[in-house]
Amino acid sequence: MSFLKKSQIKSPWLMHFDCGSCNGCDIETLACLTPVYDVERFGIINVGNPRHADVLIVTGTVNPRNAVVLKNLYDQMPTPKLVIAVGACGCTGGVFREAPNVLGGVDKVIPVDVYVPGCPAKPEAIMDAVVTGLGKLKGILEGSK
Amino acid sequence: MNLTTFYLAVAGLILAPLLGGLAAGVDRVVTARLQSRMGPPLLQPFYDVGKLMSKVIAPASQWQGLFVRWALVASLASDVLLAAGGDVLMCFFIQAASACFVTLGAFSGSSPYSKLGAQRELFQMLSYEPVFLVCVLCMAKASGGFDAYSMMGASAQPLLFKMPLIIPGLVFVLLIKMRKSPFDLSACHHGHQELVRGVYTDYAGRDFALLEIAHWADVVVILWICSFLWATGPLQMLVVALIALFVVILIDNISARLTWRHMVKVAAPVALLLATVNLLWLYLE
Repeated sequence: MSFLKKSQIKSPWLMHFDCGSCNGCDIETLACLTPVYDVERFGIINVGNPRHADVLIVTGTVNPRNAVVLKNLYDQMPTPKLVIAVGACGCTGGVFREAPNVLGGVDKVIPVDVYVPGCPAKPEAIMDAVVTGLGKLKGILEGSK
Repeated sequence: MNLTTFYLAVAGLILAPLLGGLAAGVDRVVTARLQSRMGPPLLQPFYDVGKLMSKVIAPASQWQGLFVRWALVASLASDVLLAAGGDVLMCFFIQAASACFVTLGAFSGSSPYSKLGAQRELFQMLSYEPVFLVCVLCMAKASGGFDAYSMMGASAQPLLFKMPLIIPGLVFVLLIKMRKSPFDLSACHHGHQELVRGVYTDYAGRDFALLEIAHWADVVVILWICSFLWATGPLQMLVVALIALFVVILIDNISARLTWRHMVKVAAPVALLLATVNLLWLYLE
């Protein structure tokens, strides 16, 4: 594997988008950055700019209003990119899935690579999802020329 | 120009960005250790640049690619100039040109964060350029020449003893050029930036990677000029550069970001005053 392809696995910069979550999963996502979990040891940096991001972490349910924002952020990210849906709401809409304004999970708007269940999802599970997503990306990169 | 100078220039062109990348790696590891974290691998900045190189994204404006390449050329040229024993003042002006190209590229984008970051970058240049100029003048006065070789081989006695008052000024310049707290106003690599990524917001993919390499080259130039303070041998110079790097990392970790008003109105005048007093003292001596 060439250095450039290897770098893509070793340097995932992630952007976190709160799609109307209760903040439970957001707190757990940000907990990954603390010294206890220290995701920077995998080369992960939390960025606020979709143009710099490689991994999009989405928490919360999707409704018609934030679906536009979510799609916009996804479109601004450079390829190749990964999307991780975090928490019960991000995966399926959770307990809110029958609500009139809720479209459902993140996959109703953009393609999702890894789902992280839990209410809220544990930081370990979120980190595992990033590593799983990178494994998937590695498979794609090895398959390409 | 003889052949040795040519070889030194080529070495400067190739080694300086690599050393800058290594310094960035050391920075991230030491910062993580200071925060009780494990931190990324030492070569993480190289992986980051490799990753950015392989990304596919359209530039935010048609001018950005051009400005980025000119910024890279200017930054590398300042390295080459210093390695070949050229004029330090010229090196300093080329660095300023590089910073100007970065700012122009940020202004040509569409993001308001990028434009605000570019304005702050201009304020930073307004603050550090005079201070850095006076520091270089002090070194030139004490060593008797503006070229890098005469500063490096000035005398058996280190320049530091003749110019203790420029230390705050050099630390000020280093903090700004390395984009560290409390003067990481226009851009910073931490997650707590109020301007998203400031002057870098609109740069992405390959352009951003080239800009990162230009930044490494800039950092090496500034650390190199700082090492002139104790230029009694290559090892001593390396130690001075490492001490300067550690001081900057330490200040970054123990201080919060100041406002640009504080930088322009308080920090810059104090640093400039101290350096100027030192320069006058050298002339009166």
